Amino acid sequence: MVEASSGQRRWVLLTLLVAGIWAGFTLNLNPAELVQGNPSIAKEFLVHAISPALDYESEVPTGTSPLVLKAVHAAWQTVMFAAAAMGISIIGGVLLGFLASSSLMIGTHRGLARSVRIAIYGATRLLITFMRSIHELLWAVLFLAAFGISQLSAVVALAIPCTGILAKIFSELIDETPRTASEAVHAAGGSPLQVYFFVLAPQTMPDILAYSFYRFECALRSSAVLGFFGYPTLGFYIAASFENLYFGEVWTYLYTLFLLVALVDVWSGRIRMGLQQ
Amino acid sequence: MEDLDRLYHERPKNHLVRLSLLAMIALIAGTWIFGNFVETENTNRLANVERFLNELRPYPLQDRNFDLSIALSWSSDLIDEKGWEAMSTTLAISVAAIVLAGIWGTLLALPAARNITAGFTYDPPKLLWTLIVGTTRLVLIFLRAIPEYVWAFLLLALLGPTAWPAVLALALHNSGIIGKLSAEVIEDLPREQLRSLTSIGASRLQIVMAAVAPAALPRLLLFFFYRWETCVREATVLGMLGIVSLGFWIQDARARNFYDEMFFLILLGAFIVMIGDVVSTLVRAYVRRAS
Repeated sequence: MVEASSGQRRWVLLTLLVAGIWAGFTLNLNPAELVQGNPSIAKEFLVHAISPALDYESEVPTGTSPLVLKAVHAAWQTVMFAAAAMGISIIGGVLLGFLASSSLMIGTHRGLARSVRIAIYGATRLLITFMRSIHELLWAVLFLAAFGISQLSAVVALAIPCTGILAKIFSELIDETPRTASEAVHAAGGSPLQVYFFVLAPQTMPDILAYSFYRFECALRSSAVLGFFGYPTLGFYIAASFENLYFGEVWTYLYTLFLLVALVDVWSGRIRMGLQQ
Repeated sequence: MEDLDRLYHERPKNHLVRLSLLAMIALIAGTWIFGNFVETENTNRLANVERFLNELRPYPLQDRNFDLSIALSWSSDLIDEKGWEAMSTTLAISVAAIVLAGIWGTLLALPAARNITAGFTYDPPKLLWTLIVGTTRLVLIFLRAIPEYVWAFLLLALLGPTAWPAVLALALHNSGIIGKLSAEVIEDLPREQLRSLTSIGASRLQIVMAAVAPAALPRLLLFFFYRWETCVREATVLGMLGIVSLGFWIQDARARNFYDEMFFLILLGAFIVMIGDVVSTLVRAYVRRAS
């Protein structure tokens, strides 16, 4: 058994290696090119890692708020977009997660009801796969083209893939939950909706919450990147400062993002520990 | 009834969880109430959307009835012209990135795992090793905190227009994630077996190679494939910065206002992400069965 399993593992590793070599050749990845680039700019950029700017590196009109305040403001905007998107995603994820749960939707039903339910289940599965297969930036590009720049489109662009992922995870959590309690309620005459909201939802709530908090971290990063499309999140300032070659400012914003993510990381880690007790 | 009340009051409570929950709900509600996400002005928005939806239809089909043969020849032209190359580049970027991320992530996981740095003993760790663990973990969080897109944006200017920025961007971000997850797996390995090896005189390196690596490998492989899925997804987008993956052509079509082409390429991206999903699920099932 041990022999067989280590053999299979070897195959997987070997395939990875071959795939890596194929990729390297397809992309013409030449390690020598790594040092060509712009060595002087690269060096200057890296030097600024230990000396992030605390003040603007150029003349600014009087009355502009200090750089650090601006970074905090950008971080706050990043949080706002992420939180607004999470609001939609959690609600959408719980609803779609219910429809995408095979045990709830298909379960033990018979006849016509069964085929209708299978159809709804299949359609929901397809929908959530589609939602998360398109990257949030591509949703943003689509919405930008359709609506022009608007705050709402950014939030919805963030929310769509996130909803898809949450719905997928939630449906799996529901399917993995032990069935004894819900079967008892079902036998006592509870409808599937009652079973879901009064038995399964409370049972799975800790896991759902823990995962949502983890997902918030991802939403923050995506929200920061949306700045590259003109929204006032951290990405916007990173791009602007970098294009002006104000490397110190770039690092200030990068460290702000780092602190933000690290903070949420520690926070959500604590919550996960608390929920697992 | 009294018993129920008593049980209700004695149920385990966690103040941090409750406060966080309240804070989160307040934050979400606050952003919707005080942020200006819901705009009511701009009345010709509906007309814009209608125009946009019409422009999503393949160009030869606009303002006429749907004809499958035209649609098919239009899309196969597009696939021949850009699609194949863009898709294979996207795939290659994701594969090269995950191989690098796998190697770096595993290497970074070793100094980040407390049981390794403690030398598999129960002695309090030495100051030097505590520092090493702390720094490695900080580096891991930093790598992870900066999104792939930002890494790619910065690297593109520093390294010039090759495929390296995209590959390295994905590899850096993902090695942060794989490093963290792998360190957790290594820390959760059964202590006694590893400890017994120290008592017969095995060095740290020997234990890592002979006991930690084989025991942790299946889980690490699961992480590689799980992250590879997201790499495919990100690789489509990184092209928007100028690397010739799908994103490049999406951005190109967008700049020329060819929304039909843009939409088709986005769907093509969704398609390879779904394929990646399926492949990764199958391989993960295989690895799980094998272990």
